[in-house]
Amino acid sequence: MGVTLKQSKKSSVIRLEGAIDIASAVEFKKLLLQALGSGKEIRVALDGATDMDVTAVQLIWAARRASERVGVAFTLSGALQEQVSSALGSAGLQQFLAPVDGR
Amino acid sequence: MASKADQFKTAFREEGREVLVDLESALLELNENRSDVELVGRVFRALHTIKGSGAMFGFENLATFTHNLENAFDEVRNGRLQISSELIDLTLSALDQIRAMLEEGVASAPQADPAACAQILAKVRRLTGNPAKQDAEEKTVALKAGSDAGCDVGSEADLGTDAGQMREWSIHFAPGADFMLNGANPLLLLRELSQLGGLSVRASMAALPPLSELDSERCHVSWEMVLATAAELDAIRDVFIFVEDCCELTIKSAASLQSGAESLPDSVEALQATRSPSAAGGEADRTARELEDKRVTSGGRRAYDAPDQASSLRVPAAKLDQFVNLVGELVTVQARLSELAAQRDDIEIALVSEEIERLTSSLRENSMNIRMMPIRATFEKFRRLVHDLARDLGKNVELTIEGADTELDKTVIDQLGDPLMHLIRNSMDHGIEPPDLRAARGKRATATIHLSARHSGASVLIEVSDDGGGIDAEAVQKRAVEQGLVAAGAQLTESETFALLFQPGFSTAKQVTDVSGRGVGMDVVRQRVDSLRGSIDVVSEPGLGARVTLRLPLTLAIIDGLLVSLGDACFVLPLANILECIELTRADIEIANGKHMANVRGEIVPYIRLREHFNIHTPRPEIEQIMVVQTEGGRYGFVVDQVLGNCQTVIKNLGRFYRHVQLVCGATILGNGTVALILDPERLVQDAVRAISHSARGRPARAALRTGDQEGKAGAQTVT
Repeated sequence: MGVTLKQSKKSSVIRLEGAIDIASAVEFKKLLLQALGSGKEIRVALDGATDMDVTAVQLIWAARRASERVGVAFTLSGALQEQVSSALGSAGLQQFLAPVDGR
Repeated sequence: MASKADQFKTAFREEGREVLVDLESALLELNENRSDVELVGRVFRALHTIKGSGAMFGFENLATFTHNLENAFDEVRNGRLQISSELIDLTLSALDQIRAMLEEGVASAPQADPAACAQILAKVRRLTGNPAKQDAEEKTVALKAGSDAGCDVGSEADLGTDAGQMREWSIHFAPGADFMLNGANPLLLLRELSQLGGLSVRASMAALPPLSELDSERCHVSWEMVLATAAELDAIRDVFIFVEDCCELTIKSAASLQSGAESLPDSVEALQATRSPSAAGGEADRTARELEDKRVTSGGRRAYDAPDQASSLRVPAAKLDQFVNLVGELVTVQARLSELAAQRDDIEIALVSEEIERLTSSLRENSMNIRMMPIRATFEKFRRLVHDLARDLGKNVELTIEGADTELDKTVIDQLGDPLMHLIRNSMDHGIEPPDLRAARGKRATATIHLSARHSGASVLIEVSDDGGGIDAEAVQKRAVEQGLVAAGAQLTESETFALLFQPGFSTAKQVTDVSGRGVGMDVVRQRVDSLRGSIDVVSEPGLGARVTLRLPLTLAIIDGLLVSLGDACFVLPLANILECIELTRADIEIANGKHMANVRGEIVPYIRLREHFNIHTPRPEIEQIMVVQTEGGRYGFVVDQVLGNCQTVIKNLGRFYRHVQLVCGATILGNGTVALILDPERLVQDAVRAISHSARGRPARAALRTGDQEGKAGAQTVT
């Protein structure tokens, strides 16, 4: 559970599992920076998250902007679970997790 | 290690418990003063706090259950519902369920009862008599059978949207730096806000720093919202009531929007940032002040500023105990250092040693003060007990409280709850007469139980008194004979008779009731008071009432003591009890004709020779010292060989083997590594007085004593 990073030759895959909130924010940021630093394509898999708070959304958004600046491809994969989608939607945050191909 | 979510929950539980104590107290006061609008407000605020915080920290069931009660008190606040005994009792019962929901997840905590919750809500609905809401609530209030939480209540779209004119509100909300770290969750707040009506939301990440600079535990998002609702401004403000100090919040009505308020910059800072240095500053300053006023008045909330210095801090008790233990160790080491410094002829070391002694003493005092807490919360919780018991027993009883701000060690306070509960239950069941008997005796129909606390030297006196029928000493003796506790025909003093009440299994009750009669409660009182190194005193006046006084030490950790010697042994007397120290020469003894009394500036003070009392047989010095101490029984002297000086005394337990030794209240380790016993002046005096009464009745006694009223002032006793 939590945030994990798997790196292959071409890509860095960050997988979100369970509740991704303030408790995992520091780790999430660390892995995003690590992925960015590798210069490989980044993919964040959202479908395993059962809950997400604002810290998770803003980290993803900041990572997406950072990847655009350095020219690294950034992809969000997997559909948000319904309850996560609903909670983020009612706070106007779902737009920041809109599908992106990043290329 | 506990997760942050768990830590927040724990913090909420701690705060929630305090709020519930206040709520209970306010409800019971409201029961007495039903027209008190402030009390209604206090109850409403407490319910609102529990509801809001509960929702924020994930106690959803608690939040929604409480919301229904909050609605009822909102009706009261608006004059649509009258305070009644039924509403008070219902809310008190609900409070018990809320308390259980609050402890959800805590091992061995009582669980909320879903059936009871449903029953309470149904009765509350009947009282509020709002059929329009009833259907909606029946749909939303569903009890999750078998759920740990007890009650599971769905979302309520009609919250706060009583019939009224729909209005639009523009809301700007930007959480501050500590918002998330304080455990708040903006998504939950927005969800609560959306329950007030139609909400359109626009989130902005404009203030989001680059990833590398981003504080991942801070919320960098802000929201602009438009809320269409019939709810009043207060209801909207209430959503943010717990985060007002850590967010930027502006609420503007559609009217103010239309009047052009929206054309003002979003913040004072923005205005000041755009102000040209050459521009006429007066106009901009005035506008900035107006905007600042708007932030406070129109929006209803002061925008977020840098947090002020915290005025208080919540620290886990275990950390505090560890801190005090370390201070205790430091005091012991400091005593060793002082001892070593005294043995060496080195002025530098002596100066450093003195400085450390001074600092240690100051540190000790400060750490002890941190542990001191007012007894108010412990006292206040008995209001509910008295209220419930009075109803169950069919008696009219009021609880009066005195000295609730008296402070004593947290450890002592923690252990006082049970003994006080048993004393009050006993008083209500056995002491207070039924109303008809009180009337026949010409007493006020409403009986009084009085709880009081006050300091007395190094002790605190907790009293439970009532104006009931008093204790029947004859019945106590008779029952004691029946139970084989005393021999038939035994001559017992009043205090010996009342001491029987605290024997295990002793009861004068003819039948066992739900309240008392098993002879267990008073035994618990004695055991707990013993474990706190305290004492119990009972006074009764037949027909007028009884008073039980618990004398407890102020602290169980470190005290100021006076080190004295007797032969080769050292003892410590608590400094707080000592009034003065005078010499006792052989000539003084001759003048008093060998009687154990001293003339202290015209006052005759009886004294106890500790050397004799403790059977110490070494030769006594030519000049001895009398330590004059103040006890509940008056002034007494303790004769010792030598006074060695002040010492900070870290109290160590004597251990189980010596726990029944009555005359000492612990031991301490001296600077030279030896152990000194800490004497209990009260018990020493009581022991001596007991010896007098035994001696007067021809029983063997450790020290022969006789009352000496004829020789000294009233109440003085002398040792011969």
